[in-house]
Formats: sequence, C-alpha cells, structure tokens
Amino acid sequence: MTLLSLHGIRKSFGAVDVLHGVDLSVAAGEVVGLVGDNGAGKSTLMKTITGIYRADTGSIEFDGKDILALDPGQRRQLGIEMIYQDLSLAKQQDVASNIFLGREPTKRLFGLFPGFVDKGEMDRQAAKMIERLGAHLPSINRSVGSFSGGQQQTVAIARALTFNPKLVIMDEPTAALAVREVQSVLDLIRRLKSEGIAVILISHRLNDVLSVTDRIVVLRHGRADADLVTARTNMNEVVSRIVGGGDIAAAAAHEQRG
Amino acid sequence: MASEQPGFWARVQRASVERLHIRLESLVVLLALGTAMALLSPYFLSLSNFLNILLATSTIGVLAIAATFVIGSGGLDLSLGSVMGLAGVAGAFVAVNLGWPSVLAVIACILAGAIAGYINGQLVTRAFVPAFIVTLGMLGLARGLALVISQGRAIYGLPPEIVYIGQGRPFGIPMPVIIFVLTAIVAHAVLAYTRFGRHTLALGDSEGAARAAGIRVEHHRRIIYTLSGALAGLAGLLFTARVNAGDPTAGINYELTAITAAIIGGTNLFGGRASILGTMIGALIMGVLQNGLTLLAVQSYYQQMAIGAVLILAVFIDQYQVRKESRV
Amino acid sequence: MTSLTLKINRFTLALGVVLAFSVIGIAKAEDGEYGVLMKTLANPFWGAMAQGVADGAKEAGVKYFQQAAESDQAAEPQLNLCNTMLERKPVAMITAAINSTNLLPCLKSAQEAGIKIVDLDNNLDQAVLDKEGVKVTFHIGSDNIAAGAQGAEYLVSKLGKDAKGPVLVIEGLSGNITGEKRAKGFADKLKELAPGLQIVASLPGDWDRGKAASIATDTLTAHPDLVAIFCANDGMALGAVESVYAAGKGPQVTIIGVDGNVDAVKSIKEGRLNASVAQLPYLVGKQAVENVKKALAGEKVEESIAVPTLVLTKDVIDAGKEPMLQYVK
Repeated sequence: MTLLSLHGIRKSFGAVDVLHGVDLSVAAGEVVGLVGDNGAGKSTLMKTITGIYRADTGSIEFDGKDILALDPGQRRQLGIEMIYQDLSLAKQQDVASNIFLGREPTKRLFGLFPGFVDKGEMDRQAAKMIERLGAHLPSINRSVGSFSGGQQQTVAIARALTFNPKLVIMDEPTAALAVREVQSVLDLIRRLKSEGIAVILISHRLNDVLSVTDRIVVLRHGRADADLVTARTNMNEVVSRIVGGGDIAAAAAHEQRG
Repeated sequence: MASEQPGFWARVQRASVERLHIRLESLVVLLALGTAMALLSPYFLSLSNFLNILLATSTIGVLAIAATFVIGSGGLDLSLGSVMGLAGVAGAFVAVNLGWPSVLAVIACILAGAIAGYINGQLVTRAFVPAFIVTLGMLGLARGLALVISQGRAIYGLPPEIVYIGQGRPFGIPMPVIIFVLTAIVAHAVLAYTRFGRHTLALGDSEGAARAAGIRVEHHRRIIYTLSGALAGLAGLLFTARVNAGDPTAGINYELTAITAAIIGGTNLFGGRASILGTMIGALIMGVLQNGLTLLAVQSYYQQMAIGAVLILAVFIDQYQVRKESRV
Repeated sequence: MTSLTLKINRFTLALGVVLAFSVIGIAKAEDGEYGVLMKTLANPFWGAMAQGVADGAKEAGVKYFQQAAESDQAAEPQLNLCNTMLERKPVAMITAAINSTNLLPCLKSAQEAGIKIVDLDNNLDQAVLDKEGVKVTFHIGSDNIAAGAQGAEYLVSKLGKDAKGPVLVIEGLSGNITGEKRAKGFADKLKELAPGLQIVASLPGDWDRGKAASIATDTLTAHPDLVAIFCANDGMALGAVESVYAAGKGPQVTIIGVDGNVDAVKSIKEGRLNASVAQLPYLVGKQAVENVKKALAGEKVEESIAVPTLVLTKDVIDAGKEPMLQYVK
C-alpha cells in the first residue's frame, strides 16, 4: 500500500531550479534510501514533504490525502516526522519541552483557564519515551544544550517517535556519531520498519544505506534518476548512478574525496 | 566530583529555575540590596516607601514585560519608549482635544501601541528587515508622530477618570501598582505555563526547531510584536495618567531601561530563556537601588553608575552559571 | 569546596558594589532638612543654580539634600525622585518641575504632610495649581518678559530711538512658555521705544544653534538691510552670529541673546556677539534658600520673587564694575 506519493514536484528559489519534477513513492513500513550528490536537492525534497517549503507544482499525497496545501504542523499531525541533520532542537529548553514542542498537552489551570501546558504529563511521557529507546540521559529536566551529541540525537528521535508517526524522514542521522551509536540508529530503523513505520533515510554513508533499506532512490540534478531495489544492487551501481554515466573511476575518486 | 550528589544550594537553585523560572542569584541580590538599604537608611523600611518603589517601577515594569516577551522570542524592540510616548499622546488627544469619553482614550492608548507593534511585526516577518533596524525606525517614526499629533507640546488637563488610573489609591495602593502587578501575574502565567509562552521561548531558542515543530513562526512573531506594542501602550497610559499630561517626550530611553531590567532578571539577550518573574526581580533591583540611593541623598549620576554596574555583574554571574552548567 | 567559596565571593562582590555606591553619599538624615529637586544638572545653568543653593544653605546654616532627574525631559523619573525624597520628611521642597503637571501628585502629598513647596525657576502654572488645590509658598526665578524688554532697551540705546530697519526675532521651541515670554517682552518694548525698528519675522528656532543659523541666513537673503537679531537664548544667538559674519554683515547687524552663558561671554569679549541678557541662576538658587528660611521662620515672603537679569556687553564685562557680574558663572 502506498503511503506517500509525490508526482512532478518542482521547486525553485528565485532563478535557481532545484527540483525539476520529482516522482517518489514510499509504501507503509518500507525503508527507502535517498542518495545523491551535494546539491542534488535531497534536503529541499524532504522539506517539501514536511511542508517547510511549498512545492511550486506537483502533487503530494499522504495516506490517501492531498497534503500539498497543509502547513508543517498539520502534516506532523497526519504522521510525517523528520529528524534533521542539525537535530533542530531548542537547546535551552528541557527534554520534555523539545519532545512536545508544538504539541504540548494542555489542561485547565484551577479548572478554569484553558491553554495551560500540562508539564507533569509531558515529563512522564518524555521519560517513558526515552526509556523505550533504551537511552540514558543525565536528567530529563536539563536543557538539551548541555547534553552530548548522541544524547541530543536521542531527544530528536524521541520527539519524532512520540506521536506515533507513519513516516519518519532521517537526514544524515549517522553523520556525526560514533560507530556504536551508528549501529543503534540502524537498529532503530529496523525496529520502526517492523512496527510498520515507513522511513526515508538520507545518507552519504552508502554502507549504512545498503544495509538497512528496501529501496534506494538516486536524486540527480533535481530528478529521481534511478529507483533501485537494494537486494538487487551494489555499491558500484549506486555510486555510478549518483555521479552519472558509467565512469567508475571518477566516481571512486569522488567517493574518496567526499 | 561529577558523580557527587548535588548540594543543597544546587538543588534549591535547580528548583527555583524549574518551578518559578527565575535564577536564584537575582533574588539573592535583590534581598541583599534591600537589607543593605534598610541598614543604611532609617526611611527605607516602611510600607509607604515600599509602595513608592513599586509605583516608581510600574511604568518601566510594564515595558520590561514587553521587552521580556520580545527578547525571549529572539527579537528586539527598541521602539518601546517611543511607542509608549505615542500611545500616551494618542490617549490624551482623544480625551482632551476630541473630548471623547475616557474609556475611548484608554482604548486609544493601547490600540495605538498595538498598531505600532503590529507594523513592527509585519516588517520584521515580511520585509526581511532585521528587528534592530525595524524597531529603530519605529523609534523615530513613533516619536515623530507623537510630536506631530501634540504639535510638540504636552497635552494637559486629562479627565479625572484617567488621572485616577495614575494617581488613585484604592485601599491605599496606587492604581499603577495594581495594574502593573496584575499585568505581571498574567504575563508570567502566559510565558511560563502556556503553549503560547513555550512556543515563544522555543522560537527564540531556535527558529529552525520551532518551524520544524510546526509552529507558525512568522505568525507568532507578529503576535509577539503586537503584544509588545500593546503593553507599551499600557505603559503610556500609566505615564500619561501619572503626570496628567500626554507628553510627546515621554519614555525617551525607557526601552533601554526596560531591556536592562529583563537582562538583570536573567533573560538571554539572544532569546530562548526568559521569565516575567525574573524580569520583575530585575526591575525591582533597579527600583530598590534608585530608591535607596535617593533616600541616602546620592546624586542621580552615581545611581546610573550603580545600575550599570549591576547590569554587568548580573550578566557576569549568569554567564558563569551557564558555563558551569554546560560543563557538568 | 572551591565552588562554595566562589559563590560567597560573588555575593560579597555584589553586596560590595552596592555598599560602595551607598557610602559615596551616605548622609545621616537631619531634622529641618530642605529637599532640592532640580530638572537636571547636565547644563551650566542648573549647575550655577545648584552652586547658589549650596552657598545659600551654607550662609544660612541650613541642611539640604539635592536630587536631579537624568535629563530635563525625564518627567516621570523626576516624579519618582520627588516621591522618594518625601520619605526623608524634609521641611521644604524646592522643586524645579520639568513641566507644569508632572510633579503635582508629589506636591499634593507634600502639602498634606505640611511641607513647604517652592517653585524654583517658575516652572509651575498658577492656574493649574489653583485647580489642583496646591499652594506654593513662593515662585522664584528670572522674569523672562523683563529679560526680553532689557534686550530691546539695549538695542534702542545702541541704535537710537529713531533708528529704522528690519529686525529678526528667533523664538525658542514653539509652545515653550519661557521662549514666548522673552520674545514677547522684546517685541512689546521695541514697539514702545523705537517704532521705526520693524520686526519682519519671528520664527521658532527650537533652542537649536543650527536651526537659528539657517533662519538668520534666510532672513538676510530676504532683508539684506537687516539691523538686528534677538534670540531667545544664547545658543541660537551664537548660531546667528556665524551666519551674519559668514554673510559679511558683522558690523551691520546687532545680535542679542539671553542667558549669559560661558560661550556667549567669550563671544562678547571677542566682539562678535553684541549682548546677552544674563540670567543669574546662582542668585535664583541662593535667594530661594534664603527665602525658604524666612518663610519657615514665619516671616512674610512675596508670592512671586523676580530675580533681576543683567545685560552683558563688551563694555560691561571689560569694565568689570557691575556688582552683579560676580553672579555670572
């Protein structure tokens, strides 16, 4: 069953065309790798899915609904979550505030005034989520800026998973992590898949992509240039599709550089 | 060291930050100041002097609430003092020159402020002009407009209802103090405990994070600037009512004092951390300092020096605290 | 443990700063003190007034404490200062209000507490005071109408009764009562003494040197035969001097200012500015204190005390014989 389908997505910033009609579809519970050279339009494409950017033309359907006109908050409500490369955390706020940012549970103060945040409930649920992820944080009430990179990523992941998403987009989740932490992120992706949650993984680390995805979509010059089934492809093919043409030597050199 | 149980002081500190959203240091400085003044001057400790301090803090306190919201959201409003002047003149113009009912004059004050703030918000979010520039421009625009409306001179002779707002004393408590304290309580609740307040701080912390979390960043900023303007309007009303004149020069440099109060109270100048209670403590530190030094017959120039020193000291302590925290 | 000592040090530091500033002006409160509240001390006029108060208090043997707002536009801060000063329970409040209403709430409280109120430098409006039911013991200050008239008298004495020609008047900030009185005093007296001298323009210079200079230049263009310029203060007069000399009409145009400030005196000595009607703020401050003492002793004091003004010219300054010269600070 198709969860997300994009058709003919175009996006330009002023005179710069970034996306020239991208088609992409992701099924429920499917893990799709999105690869491409720097500037291929990966981040822009993901941001048009989350709603940070609005596509100039094209259609986006999610769970059978046209979501093109919805803003990021509404798309999150439908179940689209993204973990950004920079994590997009509010560093001076504590764990629960970050996890629930934009979706805070509310209560009535003294049973009278509505709109007050239920901090106790937030803290309880945040603690539960962190525990479910098997992660360790020094304190749930500390500002997340005082945590290590891996701990901060835990918070970002917890935020993405707390509201039962249907699709999680991860932008370079392993780029800044130690080997052990990389493995736990890959395990997490597998676990999400087993729970029926679709994942789009953007990564330069092709080994990770090859080991965890079902399909690999190669973005090149603002187009989905190739759609490969992971089980039937290999590193060489992916690399050559990323750089274009069959020039493996140039591609290998590129891989070494980058 | 790191595995040691946090000491009593550390726990009290943490609790004050988490529960009351204030830095304990500022409260300690306020109490120390109060004690010092009480020891030095026999006139300091009295109910009437206490009310005096609150009264002297009321106008600037309301402006400081506005400054706290804006700075907390990662913005800046340099037009607070001018907008306050404009609002006061607008109210006086409606009441005196047009002779309309006082209720309309009150509304005019707050509306004039809100409109100026709304324009700030529109320019900041739509025209991509930095808040510093937009509000600096508004500082000039609002002041100029106030001078135009009033033809350069104060508008005297406000109706008694308005004067009551500035000079009345129900139950012996000055009206500006009542208005100021109520405003502060509501503002504190909004900033610390509501979604609106939390989004404000998240926005100041990381605009990207707020955007990613689905918060309508531009919309939120426009509300913040409008709110800031409306509060400046309220401050303008208090000023006008206190001195019984719509004075076009009202509030010159008040924005800097308001920002100082917010910073002494622990607001991060770059956004993300702010609390109204903290700002009130900051404003009271300045109020107690000025009052005490006046009672001690210290010249006002030294008073300004003292406030400058306290500002730098407060931020020094704060930075020290923040650095220590991030080392743990 | 190190962190604990550090903490103590920080608070000691904070307290230290406070104490240091407190000690600078520590003064034991005295019975029978006078409270003196100025507009500001950030200009020579008010500085001289403060000096007069200080010397007057010393001579009369009375105690006083003095405060000033940070600028002459800080209406509300001045009200706050006034309220706080009342807490010291002075026997008299000598106040130079920033405008005619800002101190009223404080003055009412003072009156209720039986504190004598003095209007220093004529800033309060008697009509407003009557309406609010505030009674001041006396007003004291220079008579601005008389100051303007003195300017006209000097001009006529220099040019003669039958002189003819166009005259320019540069007023203060439009709407400011002080500037208006000086301009009016000048105009009325001039008409009376020498009707041949025609005021061709009377424009607000906003107390601004540059603005006054432009007005003078423009008027010289329209009336090349201009014979005199009267400015409502010295700053504007010095601006006019620049314009007149730039146009090469120094000897032809007589320029008169008001205030007698340091720059004006210098310009007069150099023979550029012709005259300045000097206010004597030192004398105002001194006489204010002396009269408060009288009033407190139950003696009768006039409700409005006019402190004389003095026309400063090169002759007067060079001769140095005028006794009031000692009060020109």
